[in-house]
Amino acid sequence: MNCKTKITAQVALLCAAPVVMHAQFDFKMDGLKFQVHSFASQGFAYSNDNNYLTMNTSQGSFAMTDGGVNLSSQITDKFRVGAQAYDRNVGVMGKGRVTLDWALGDYKFKSWFGVRAGKVKTVFGLYNDTQDIESLHTWAILPQSAYPIDLRASTIAHVGGDIYGTFDLQKRGGISYTAYYGTRPDDPTGGYTYGLKAFGVNLNGVTGTQAGGDLRWNNLIKDVTFGASYMNSPMDTAGTMQMSPLPKSPGTIHAEDRSIAYYVSYKSGSLSVDGEYRLEKIYSTMKIAVMPTMVVTSLYNPVECGWYAAAAYRISKRLEFGTYRSWFYPTWTGDRDAPISHITDQVVTARVDLAKFWDVKIEGHFMDGYGNPQSLRGFYLQDNPAGLQPKTNMLVIRTGWNF
Amino acid sequence: MTRTKILFVPAVIVLFAAAMQAADIKLIANPSIGVSSVSTDEVKRMFLLEKSTLDDGTRVEPVVAKGGPTHDAFLKQYLSRTDSALQTYYRSLVFTGKASMPKTLGSEAEVVAYVAKTKGAIGYVSAAAVTAGVKTLDVK
Repeated sequence: MNCKTKITAQVALLCAAPVVMHAQFDFKMDGLKFQVHSFASQGFAYSNDNNYLTMNTSQGSFAMTDGGVNLSSQITDKFRVGAQAYDRNVGVMGKGRVTLDWALGDYKFKSWFGVRAGKVKTVFGLYNDTQDIESLHTWAILPQSAYPIDLRASTIAHVGGDIYGTFDLQKRGGISYTAYYGTRPDDPTGGYTYGLKAFGVNLNGVTGTQAGGDLRWNNLIKDVTFGASYMNSPMDTAGTMQMSPLPKSPGTIHAEDRSIAYYVSYKSGSLSVDGEYRLEKIYSTMKIAVMPTMVVTSLYNPVECGWYAAAAYRISKRLEFGTYRSWFYPTWTGDRDAPISHITDQVVTARVDLAKFWDVKIEGHFMDGYGNPQSLRGFYLQDNPAGLQPKTNMLVIRTGWNF
Repeated sequence: MTRTKILFVPAVIVLFAAAMQAADIKLIANPSIGVSSVSTDEVKRMFLLEKSTLDDGTRVEPVVAKGGPTHDAFLKQYLSRTDSALQTYYRSLVFTGKASMPKTLGSEAEVVAYVAKTKGAIGYVSAAAVTAGVKTLDVK
Protein backbone atom coordinates (compact mmCIF):
# COMPACT_ATOMS: atom_id res chain seq x y z
CA MET A 1 0.00 0.00 0.00
CA ASN A 2 1.62 3.29 -1.02
CA CYS A 3 1.83 6.36 1.19
CA LYS A 4 -1.10 8.22 -0.43
CA THR A 5 -3.41 5.18 -0.13
CA LYS A 6 -2.36 4.70 3.48
CA ILE A 7 -3.17 8.32 4.33
CA THR A 8 -6.54 8.12 2.54
CA ALA A 9 -7.40 4.93 4.42
CA GLN A 10 -6.44 6.49 7.73
CA VAL A 11 -8.49 9.61 7.08
CA ALA A 12 -11.51 7.49 6.12
CA LEU A 13 -11.11 5.48 9.29
CA LEU A 14 -10.87 8.66 11.35
CA CYS A 15 -14.11 9.98 9.93
CA ALA A 16 -15.88 6.67 10.52
CA ALA A 17 -14.45 6.24 14.00
CA PRO A 18 -17.04 8.30 15.91
CA VAL A 19 -19.88 6.22 14.45
CA VAL A 20 -18.16 2.89 15.00
CA MET A 21 -17.02 3.89 18.40
CA HIS A 22 -20.24 5.30 19.74
CA ALA A 23 -19.69 2.86 22.53
CA GLN A 24 -20.73 4.80 25.59
CA PHE A 25 -23.75 2.90 26.67
CA ASP A 26 -25.33 1.37 29.75
CA PHE A 27 -26.88 -2.05 29.99
CA LYS A 28 -28.30 -4.27 32.70
CA MET A 29 -27.43 -7.87 33.40
CA ASP A 30 -28.71 -9.93 36.33
CA GLY A 31 -30.02 -6.74 37.90
CA LEU A 32 -26.63 -5.00 37.75
CA LYS A 33 -26.03 -1.82 35.74
CA PHE A 34 -22.92 -1.80 33.55
CA GLN A 35 -21.33 1.14 31.76
CA VAL A 36 -19.11 0.92 28.68
CA HIS A 37 -16.85 3.83 27.71
CA SER A 38 -14.21 4.18 25.01
CA PHE A 39 -11.62 6.57 23.65
CA ALA A 40 -9.19 6.80 20.74
CA SER A 41 -6.76 9.26 19.22
CA GLN A 42 -4.72 9.69 16.08
CA GLY A 43 -1.78 12.03 15.68
CA PHE A 44 0.64 13.33 13.10
CA ALA A 45 4.09 14.68 13.92
CA TYR A 46 6.56 16.49 11.68
CA SER A 47 9.95 17.73 12.84
CA ASN A 48 13.03 19.28 11.36
CA ASP A 49 16.26 17.24 11.49
CA ASN A 50 15.88 14.98 14.55
CA ASN A 51 13.48 12.05 14.76
CA TYR A 52 11.61 12.00 18.06
CA LEU A 53 9.93 9.37 20.24
CA THR A 54 10.89 6.56 17.82
CA MET A 55 8.71 8.10 15.09
CA ASN A 56 10.12 9.05 11.70
CA THR A 57 9.06 12.64 12.40
CA SER A 58 11.63 14.23 10.08
CA GLN A 59 9.61 12.73 7.19
CA GLY A 60 6.24 13.25 8.84
CA SER A 61 4.73 10.40 10.83
CA PHE A 62 1.21 9.17 11.51
CA ALA A 63 2.56 6.52 13.91
CA MET A 64 0.77 8.02 16.90
CA THR A 65 -2.40 6.04 17.55
CA ASP A 66 -4.03 4.78 20.71
CA GLY A 67 -7.38 3.73 22.09
CA GLY A 68 -9.14 1.96 24.91
CA VAL A 69 -12.46 0.57 26.06
CA ASN A 70 -13.69 -0.08 29.57
CA LEU A 71 -16.53 -1.85 31.33
CA SER A 72 -17.54 -1.10 34.92
CA SER A 73 -20.33 -1.63 37.39
CA GLN A 74 -21.28 -0.28 40.80
CA ILE A 75 -22.11 -3.63 42.42
CA THR A 76 -23.20 -2.22 45.79
CA ASP A 77 -23.18 1.23 47.40
CA LYS A 78 -19.57 0.74 48.44
CA PHE A 79 -18.18 -1.77 45.92
CA ARG A 80 -17.41 -1.30 42.25
CA VAL A 81 -15.53 -3.35 39.65
CA GLY A 82 -14.21 -2.57 36.22
CA ALA A 83 -11.57 -3.21 33.60
CA GLN A 84 -10.05 -1.32 30.69
CA ALA A 85 -8.14 -2.56 27.65
CA TYR A 86 -5.63 -0.25 25.97
CA ASP A 87 -3.73 -0.33 22.72
CA ARG A 88 -1.15 2.12 21.46
CA ASN A 89 1.30 2.56 18.64
CA VAL A 90 3.83 5.40 18.95
CA GLY A 91 6.65 4.93 16.48
CA VAL A 92 7.98 1.45 17.28
CA MET A 93 6.54 1.51 20.79
CA GLY A 94 3.38 -0.36 21.63
CA LYS A 95 3.12 -1.97 18.19
CA GLY A 96 -0.63 -2.30 18.53
CA ARG A 97 -0.26 -4.74 21.40
CA VAL A 98 -3.57 -4.79 23.32
CA THR A 99 -2.92 -4.70 27.04
CA LEU A 100 -4.98 -4.79 30.19
CA ASP A 101 -4.74 -1.14 31.23
CA TRP A 102 -6.45 -1.64 34.58
CA ALA A 103 -8.78 -4.15 36.19
CA LEU A 104 -9.84 -3.67 39.75
CA GLY A 105 -12.25 -4.09 42.59
CA ASP A 106 -12.76 -0.97 44.68
CA TYR A 107 -14.34 -1.03 48.14
CA LYS A 108 -14.98 2.33 49.77
CA PHE A 109 -15.56 1.79 53.48
CA LYS A 110 -15.75 5.50 54.23
CA SER A 111 -14.88 8.66 52.30
CA TRP A 112 -11.60 8.68 54.24
CA PHE A 113 -10.75 5.00 53.69
CA GLY A 114 -11.06 2.79 50.65
CA VAL A 115 -9.20 -0.14 49.13
CA ARG A 116 -8.48 -0.96 45.50
CA ALA A 117 -6.94 -4.20 44.30
CA GLY A 118 -6.03 -5.59 40.93
CA LYS A 119 -4.15 -3.78 38.21
CA VAL A 120 -4.43 -0.16 39.30
CA LYS A 121 -3.29 3.02 37.58
CA THR A 122 -0.62 4.61 39.76
CA VAL A 123 -1.23 8.01 41.31
CA PHE A 124 1.98 10.01 40.89
CA GLY A 125 2.08 13.73 40.30
CA LEU A 126 -0.82 15.51 38.68
CA TYR A 127 -1.42 13.36 35.62
CA ASN A 128 0.44 10.02 35.74
CA ASP A 129 -2.74 7.96 35.92
CA THR A 130 -4.52 9.98 33.22
CA GLN A 131 -1.62 10.61 30.83
CA ASP A 132 -2.94 8.16 28.20
CA ILE A 133 -6.35 9.83 27.87
CA GLU A 134 -5.84 12.47 25.20
CA SER A 135 -9.23 14.19 25.71
CA LEU A 136 -8.45 15.03 29.34
CA HIS A 137 -5.58 17.36 28.49
CA THR A 138 -5.00 20.59 26.60
CA TRP A 139 -1.79 19.18 25.11
CA ALA A 140 -1.22 16.76 22.26
CA ILE A 141 1.94 15.62 24.06
CA LEU A 142 2.25 16.11 27.82
CA PRO A 143 5.47 17.66 29.20
CA GLN A 144 8.02 14.93 28.64
CA SER A 145 10.11 16.07 31.61
CA ALA A 146 7.37 14.61 33.84
CA TYR A 147 5.42 12.18 31.62
CA PRO A 148 7.84 10.56 29.14
CA ILE A 149 5.82 8.55 26.63
CA ASP A 150 8.74 6.19 26.04
CA LEU A 151 9.20 5.36 29.73
CA ARG A 152 5.49 5.11 30.53
CA ALA A 153 5.74 1.51 31.74
CA SER A 154 7.97 2.44 34.66
CA THR A 155 5.22 4.41 36.42
CA ILE A 156 1.85 3.82 34.76
CA ALA A 157 0.33 1.03 36.86
CA HIS A 158 0.94 -1.71 39.36
CA VAL A 159 -0.61 -5.09 40.04
CA GLY A 160 -1.32 -5.01 43.73
CA GLY A 161 -3.35 -2.79 45.98
CA ASP A 162 -4.02 0.77 47.09
CA ILE A 163 -5.47 2.34 50.15
CA TYR A 164 -6.93 5.79 49.60
CA GLY A 165 -9.23 8.39 51.03
CA THR A 166 -10.03 12.04 51.59
CA PHE A 167 -10.27 13.85 54.92
CA ASP A 168 -12.83 16.62 54.68
CA LEU A 169 -11.55 19.69 56.49
CA GLN A 170 -14.67 21.75 55.72
CA LYS A 171 -13.60 25.33 54.99
CA ARG A 172 -9.95 24.23 54.79
CA GLY A 173 -10.67 21.95 51.85
CA GLY A 174 -9.67 18.30 51.91
CA ILE A 175 -6.53 16.18 52.16
CA SER A 176 -6.42 13.15 49.86
CA TYR A 177 -3.98 10.30 50.23
CA THR A 178 -3.05 7.20 48.26
CA ALA A 179 -0.55 4.51 49.25
CA TYR A 180 0.21 1.50 47.07
CA TYR A 181 2.33 -1.57 46.54
CA GLY A 182 2.50 -3.98 43.66
CA THR A 183 4.48 -5.41 40.79
CA ARG A 184 5.17 -3.23 37.81
CA PRO A 185 4.10 -4.35 34.32
CA ASP A 186 6.64 -5.24 31.68
CA ASP A 187 6.61 -3.38 28.37
CA PRO A 188 8.76 -5.22 25.85
CA THR A 189 7.86 -2.60 23.24
CA GLY A 190 8.66 0.46 25.38
CA GLY A 191 11.44 3.00 25.17
CA TYR A 192 13.62 1.36 27.83
CA THR A 193 14.03 -1.89 25.91
CA TYR A 194 14.27 -0.08 22.57
CA GLY A 195 16.76 2.53 23.71
CA LEU A 196 19.21 0.06 25.23
CA LYS A 197 19.49 -1.76 21.90
CA ALA A 198 21.62 1.12 20.64
CA PHE A 199 24.14 0.16 23.31
CA GLY A 200 24.17 -3.52 22.36
CA VAL A 201 21.80 -4.52 25.15
CA ASN A 202 18.92 -6.85 24.26
CA LEU A 203 16.55 -7.59 27.12
CA ASN A 204 14.28 -10.56 27.78
CA GLY A 205 11.78 -8.74 29.95
CA VAL A 206 11.68 -6.47 32.98
CA THR A 207 10.34 -7.36 36.41
CA GLY A 208 10.05 -5.15 39.42
CA THR A 209 7.86 -3.62 42.07
CA GLN A 210 6.31 -0.26 42.80
CA ALA A 211 5.74 1.13 46.26
CA GLY A 212 4.83 4.66 47.06
CA GLY A 213 2.24 7.21 47.90
CA ASP A 214 0.69 10.54 47.17
CA LEU A 215 -0.60 13.28 49.45
CA ARG A 216 -2.47 16.33 48.18
CA TRP A 217 -4.42 19.19 49.65
CA ASN A 218 -7.38 20.49 47.69
CA ASN A 219 -8.90 23.92 48.27
CA LEU A 220 -6.93 25.10 51.28
CA ILE A 221 -6.67 28.04 48.92
CA LYS A 222 -9.75 28.17 46.67
CA ASP A 223 -9.30 26.22 43.41
CA VAL A 224 -5.71 25.25 44.26
CA THR A 225 -4.37 21.74 44.66
CA PHE A 226 -0.83 21.09 45.84
CA GLY A 227 0.91 17.93 46.86
CA ALA A 228 3.77 15.49 46.64
CA SER A 229 4.30 11.93 45.46
CA TYR A 230 6.98 9.36 46.14
CA MET A 231 7.76 6.12 44.31
CA ASN A 232 10.36 3.42 44.85
CA SER A 233 10.47 1.04 41.88
CA PRO A 234 13.37 -1.43 41.86
CA MET A 235 13.65 -3.54 38.74
CA ASP A 236 15.55 -6.50 37.37
CA THR A 237 16.13 -7.64 33.85
CA ALA A 238 18.35 -10.01 31.92
CA GLY A 239 19.42 -10.48 28.36
CA THR A 240 22.45 -10.33 26.14
CA MET A 241 24.90 -7.50 26.05
CA GLN A 242 27.44 -6.67 23.42
CA MET A 243 29.40 -3.59 24.38
CA SER A 244 32.56 -3.03 22.37
CA PRO A 245 35.24 -4.33 22.77
CA LEU A 246 33.55 -7.11 24.81
CA PRO A 247 31.96 -10.06 22.99
CA LYS A 248 28.19 -10.67 23.12
CA SER A 249 27.56 -12.12 26.55
CA PRO A 250 24.69 -12.82 28.93
CA GLY A 251 24.10 -10.14 31.50
CA THR A 252 21.76 -8.69 34.07
CA ILE A 253 20.67 -5.25 35.15
CA HIS A 254 19.44 -4.38 38.60
CA ALA A 255 18.22 -0.83 39.14
CA GLU A 256 16.90 1.00 42.16
CA ASP A 257 14.75 3.87 41.02
CA ARG A 258 13.46 6.43 43.51
CA SER A 259 11.34 9.34 42.35
CA ILE A 260 9.71 12.26 44.04
CA ALA A 261 7.34 14.82 42.57
CA TYR A 262 6.04 18.12 43.90
CA TYR A 263 3.14 19.81 42.16
CA VAL A 264 0.65 22.63 42.28
CA SER A 265 -2.43 23.21 40.16
CA TYR A 266 -4.86 26.10 39.91
CA LYS A 267 -8.11 25.57 38.01
CA SER A 268 -10.81 28.20 38.12
CA GLY A 269 -13.37 28.92 35.43
CA SER A 270 -11.60 29.04 32.08
CA LEU A 271 -8.05 29.28 33.45
CA SER A 272 -5.78 26.40 34.32
CA VAL A 273 -2.20 26.74 35.61
CA ASP A 274 0.01 23.77 36.53
CA GLY A 275 3.55 23.33 37.76
CA GLU A 276 5.41 20.17 38.61
CA TYR A 277 8.95 19.20 39.66
CA ARG A 278 10.41 15.70 39.51
CA LEU A 279 13.60 14.25 40.88
CA GLU A 280 14.65 10.70 40.01
CA LYS A 281 17.62 8.91 41.53
CA ILE A 282 18.72 5.84 39.62
CA TYR A 283 21.20 3.28 40.94
CA SER A 284 21.75 0.86 38.08
CA THR A 285 24.21 -2.02 38.03
CA MET A 286 24.82 -3.97 34.84
CA LYS A 287 26.78 -7.22 35.09
CA ILE A 288 28.06 -8.87 31.93
CA ALA A 289 29.36 -12.43 32.18
CA VAL A 290 32.07 -12.12 29.55
CA MET A 291 33.42 -15.49 30.59
CA PRO A 292 32.19 -17.92 33.25
CA THR A 293 34.91 -16.63 35.52
CA MET A 294 34.86 -13.00 34.43
CA VAL A 295 32.05 -10.57 35.11
CA VAL A 296 32.27 -6.95 34.00
CA THR A 297 30.28 -4.51 36.08
CA SER A 298 29.04 -1.18 34.80
CA LEU A 299 27.36 1.40 37.00
CA TYR A 300 24.92 4.11 35.93
CA ASN A 301 23.83 6.36 38.78
CA PRO A 302 22.37 9.62 37.51
CA VAL A 303 20.18 12.08 39.36
CA GLU A 304 17.66 13.14 36.74
CA CYS A 305 15.48 16.14 37.30
CA GLY A 306 12.81 17.90 35.36
CA TRP A 307 10.05 20.39 35.75
CA TYR A 308 7.44 22.26 33.79
CA ALA A 309 5.14 25.26 34.05
CA ALA A 310 1.91 25.28 32.04
CA ALA A 311 -1.03 27.61 31.50
CA ALA A 312 -4.19 27.17 29.45
CA TYR A 313 -7.22 29.36 28.88
CA ARG A 314 -10.55 28.36 27.37
CA ILE A 315 -11.63 31.23 25.12
CA SER A 316 -15.03 29.70 24.36
CA LYS A 317 -16.95 26.44 24.56
CA ARG A 318 -14.99 25.19 21.53
CA LEU A 319 -11.56 26.83 21.71
CA GLU A 320 -8.73 26.65 24.20
CA PHE A 321 -5.17 27.98 23.98
CA GLY A 322 -2.25 26.91 26.11
CA THR A 323 1.48 26.99 26.51
CA TYR A 324 4.05 25.16 28.61
CA ARG A 325 7.78 25.13 29.08
CA SER A 326 9.44 21.89 30.11
CA TRP A 327 13.00 21.36 31.35
CA PHE A 328 14.78 18.02 31.66
CA TYR A 329 18.34 17.38 32.89
CA PRO A 330 19.66 13.80 32.65
CA THR A 331 22.19 14.73 35.28
CA TRP A 332 22.16 17.86 37.36
CA THR A 333 25.95 18.09 37.79
CA GLY A 334 28.38 19.25 35.14
CA ASP A 335 27.87 21.48 32.14
CA ARG A 336 24.09 21.87 31.75
CA ASP A 337 24.33 24.06 28.65
CA ALA A 338 25.59 21.36 26.29
CA PRO A 339 22.84 19.78 24.13
CA ILE A 340 23.64 16.38 25.65
CA SER A 341 22.96 17.76 29.13
CA HIS A 342 19.44 19.07 28.75
CA ILE A 343 16.15 19.03 26.85
CA THR A 344 13.98 22.12 27.07
CA ASP A 345 10.70 22.32 25.22
CA GLN A 346 8.60 25.43 24.65
CA VAL A 347 5.13 24.43 23.49
CA VAL A 348 2.11 26.32 22.19
CA THR A 349 -1.22 24.60 21.62
CA ALA A 350 -4.63 25.34 20.24
CA ARG A 351 -7.38 22.85 21.12
CA VAL A 352 -10.67 22.89 19.21
CA ASP A 353 -13.60 20.90 20.59
CA LEU A 354 -15.59 20.03 17.48
CA ALA A 355 -18.16 18.26 19.67
CA LYS A 356 -18.35 17.12 23.30
CA PHE A 357 -16.79 13.81 22.23
CA TRP A 358 -14.32 15.02 19.54
CA ASP A 359 -11.35 17.36 19.72
CA VAL A 360 -8.45 18.43 17.52
CA LYS A 361 -5.16 19.88 18.73
CA ILE A 362 -2.51 21.79 16.81
CA GLU A 363 0.72 22.06 18.72
CA GLY A 364 4.20 23.47 18.14
CA HIS A 365 7.26 22.19 20.00
CA PHE A 366 10.47 24.19 20.10
CA MET A 367 13.10 21.98 21.72
CA ASP A 368 16.66 22.78 22.68
CA GLY A 369 19.07 19.96 23.44
CA TYR A 370 18.62 16.19 23.10
CA GLY A 371 19.79 14.87 26.45
CA ASN A 372 22.01 11.93 27.25
CA PRO A 373 21.04 8.96 25.00
CA GLN A 374 21.40 6.74 28.08
CA SER A 375 18.51 8.57 29.73
CA LEU A 376 16.20 7.27 26.96
CA ARG A 377 14.17 10.44 26.64
CA GLY A 378 12.79 10.88 23.18
CA PHE A 379 15.98 11.02 21.10
CA TYR A 380 17.36 7.61 20.13
CA LEU A 381 20.68 6.96 18.41
CA GLN A 382 19.31 4.27 16.09
CA ASP A 383 16.61 6.68 14.85
CA ASN A 384 19.17 9.42 14.16
CA PRO A 385 22.12 7.62 12.52
CA ALA A 386 23.54 10.87 11.11
CA GLY A 387 23.82 12.27 14.61
CA LEU A 388 21.59 14.54 16.67
CA GLN A 389 21.13 18.22 15.96
CA PRO A 390 21.00 20.61 18.92
CA LYS A 391 17.51 21.98 18.18
CA THR A 392 14.25 20.28 17.22
CA ASN A 393 11.13 22.05 16.03
CA MET A 394 8.09 19.87 15.67
CA LEU A 395 4.47 20.28 14.63
CA VAL A 396 1.97 17.86 16.15
CA ILE A 397 -1.65 17.55 15.07
CA ARG A 398 -3.75 15.15 17.09
CA THR A 399 -7.45 14.33 17.11
CA GLY A 400 -9.31 12.28 19.68
CA TRP A 401 -12.73 10.89 20.56
CA ASN A 402 -14.23 9.72 23.80
CA PHE A 403 -17.57 8.18 24.65
CA MET B 1 -20.96 61.46 45.91
CA THR B 2 -21.51 60.96 42.18
CA ARG B 3 -18.52 58.52 42.07
CA THR B 4 -19.95 56.63 45.05
CA LYS B 5 -23.29 56.33 43.30
CA ILE B 6 -21.55 55.09 40.15
CA LEU B 7 -19.82 52.33 42.14
CA PHE B 8 -22.83 51.57 44.31
CA VAL B 9 -25.26 50.85 41.48
CA PRO B 10 -23.18 48.15 39.71
CA ALA B 11 -22.43 46.53 43.09
CA VAL B 12 -26.14 46.29 43.84
CA ILE B 13 -26.79 44.85 40.39
CA VAL B 14 -24.10 42.19 40.89
CA LEU B 15 -25.45 41.23 44.32
CA PHE B 16 -29.00 41.16 42.97
CA ALA B 17 -27.91 38.95 40.06
CA ALA B 18 -26.21 36.54 42.45
CA ALA B 19 -29.30 36.37 44.65
CA MET B 20 -31.45 35.80 41.58
CA GLN B 21 -29.12 33.01 40.43
CA ALA B 22 -29.46 31.22 43.76
CA ALA B 23 -33.23 31.60 43.63
CA ASP B 24 -33.30 30.30 40.03
CA ILE B 25 -32.00 26.80 40.92
CA LYS B 26 -33.88 24.20 42.89
CA LEU B 27 -32.16 21.11 44.29
CA ILE B 28 -34.52 18.12 44.08
CA ALA B 29 -34.25 14.66 45.56
CA ASN B 30 -36.02 11.33 45.57
CA PRO B 31 -38.44 11.04 48.53
CA SER B 32 -36.28 8.20 49.91
CA ILE B 33 -33.76 10.81 51.04
CA GLY B 34 -34.50 11.58 54.67
CA VAL B 35 -32.83 14.98 55.03
CA SER B 36 -34.57 18.21 54.09
CA SER B 37 -31.43 20.32 53.72
CA VAL B 38 -27.82 19.94 52.68
CA SER B 39 -24.83 22.26 52.85
CA THR B 40 -23.20 23.83 49.80
CA ASP B 41 -20.09 21.79 50.62
CA GLU B 42 -22.16 18.58 50.55
CA VAL B 43 -23.70 19.55 47.22
CA LYS B 44 -20.23 20.14 45.77
CA ARG B 45 -18.84 16.87 47.10
CA MET B 46 -21.84 14.84 45.91
CA PHE B 47 -21.69 16.18 42.36
CA LEU B 48 -17.91 15.76 42.24
CA LEU B 49 -18.46 12.12 43.26
CA GLU B 50 -16.41 12.58 46.42
CA LYS B 51 -19.35 11.82 48.71
CA SER B 52 -21.74 8.98 47.94
CA THR B 53 -23.72 8.88 51.20
CA LEU B 54 -25.37 11.50 53.37
CA ASP B 55 -24.69 11.73 57.10
CA ASP B 56 -27.73 9.54 57.78
CA GLY B 57 -26.22 6.81 55.63
CA THR B 58 -28.51 7.28 52.64
CA ARG B 59 -26.75 6.57 49.37
CA VAL B 60 -27.03 9.42 46.86
CA GLU B 61 -26.88 9.32 43.07
CA PRO B 62 -26.24 12.70 41.44
CA VAL B 63 -28.07 13.40 38.17
CA VAL B 64 -26.56 15.96 35.82
CA ALA B 65 -28.18 18.00 33.06
CA LYS B 66 -26.76 17.91 29.55
CA GLY B 67 -26.60 21.69 29.28
CA GLY B 68 -28.65 24.87 29.44
CA PRO B 69 -28.73 28.00 31.58
CA THR B 70 -29.78 26.17 34.79
CA HIS B 71 -26.94 23.68 34.34
CA ASP B 72 -24.39 26.43 33.75
CA ALA B 73 -25.65 28.41 36.74
CA PHE B 74 -25.51 25.32 38.97
CA LEU B 75 -21.93 24.56 37.92
CA LYS B 76 -20.83 28.11 38.49
CA GLN B 77 -22.55 28.46 41.84
CA TYR B 78 -21.85 25.10 43.44
CA LEU B 79 -18.90 23.50 41.63
CA SER B 80 -16.87 26.52 40.41
CA ARG B 81 -16.37 24.79 37.08
CA THR B 82 -17.35 25.16 33.48
CA ASP B 83 -19.20 22.28 31.79
CA SER B 84 -16.03 21.42 29.87
CA ALA B 85 -14.00 21.22 33.09
CA LEU B 86 -16.67 19.10 34.78
CA GLN B 87 -16.82 16.62 31.90
CA THR B 88 -13.02 16.39 31.95
CA TYR B 89 -13.15 15.70 35.66
CA TYR B 90 -15.77 12.97 35.29
CA ARG B 91 -13.88 11.34 32.43
CA SER B 92 -10.65 11.33 34.46
CA LEU B 93 -12.45 9.22 37.07
CA VAL B 94 -14.17 6.94 34.55
CA PHE B 95 -11.05 6.19 32.50
CA THR B 96 -8.95 5.42 35.59
CA GLY B 97 -11.56 3.17 37.16
CA LYS B 98 -12.38 5.43 40.09
CA ALA B 99 -16.05 6.14 39.34
CA SER B 100 -18.92 5.67 36.92
CA MET B 101 -20.24 8.50 34.75
CA PRO B 102 -23.22 10.18 36.45
CA LYS B 103 -26.59 9.92 34.75
CA THR B 104 -26.94 12.79 32.28
CA LEU B 105 -30.37 13.87 31.05
CA GLY B 106 -31.45 16.28 28.34
CA SER B 107 -34.43 18.12 29.80
CA GLU B 108 -35.79 19.21 33.17
CA ALA B 109 -38.80 16.96 32.75
CA GLU B 110 -36.45 13.97 32.29
CA VAL B 111 -34.44 14.99 35.37
CA VAL B 112 -37.60 15.25 37.49
CA ALA B 113 -38.94 11.93 36.20
CA TYR B 114 -35.65 10.11 36.86
CA VAL B 115 -35.20 11.60 40.33
CA ALA B 116 -38.80 10.70 41.20
CA LYS B 117 -38.37 7.02 40.32
CA THR B 118 -34.75 6.44 41.43
CA LYS B 119 -33.90 5.81 45.06
CA GLY B 120 -31.22 8.21 46.29
CA ALA B 121 -31.22 10.40 43.17
CA ILE B 122 -30.44 14.11 43.51
CA GLY B 123 -30.68 16.64 40.70
CA TYR B 124 -31.20 20.32 39.95
CA VAL B 125 -33.81 22.19 37.94
CA SER B 126 -34.94 25.77 37.52
CA ALA B 127 -37.08 27.26 40.26
CA ALA B 128 -40.06 27.37 37.92
CA ALA B 129 -39.85 23.68 36.95
CA VAL B 130 -42.74 21.36 37.78
CA THR B 131 -41.42 18.97 40.44
CA ALA B 132 -44.22 16.52 41.17
CA GLY B 133 -43.06 13.33 42.86
CA VAL B 134 -39.78 14.73 44.25
CA LYS B 135 -38.80 16.70 47.31
CA THR B 136 -36.97 20.01 47.31
CA LEU B 137 -33.85 20.31 49.43
CA ASP B 138 -32.80 23.53 51.10
CA VAL B 139 -29.17 24.43 50.59
CA LYS B 140 -27.56 26.02 53.63
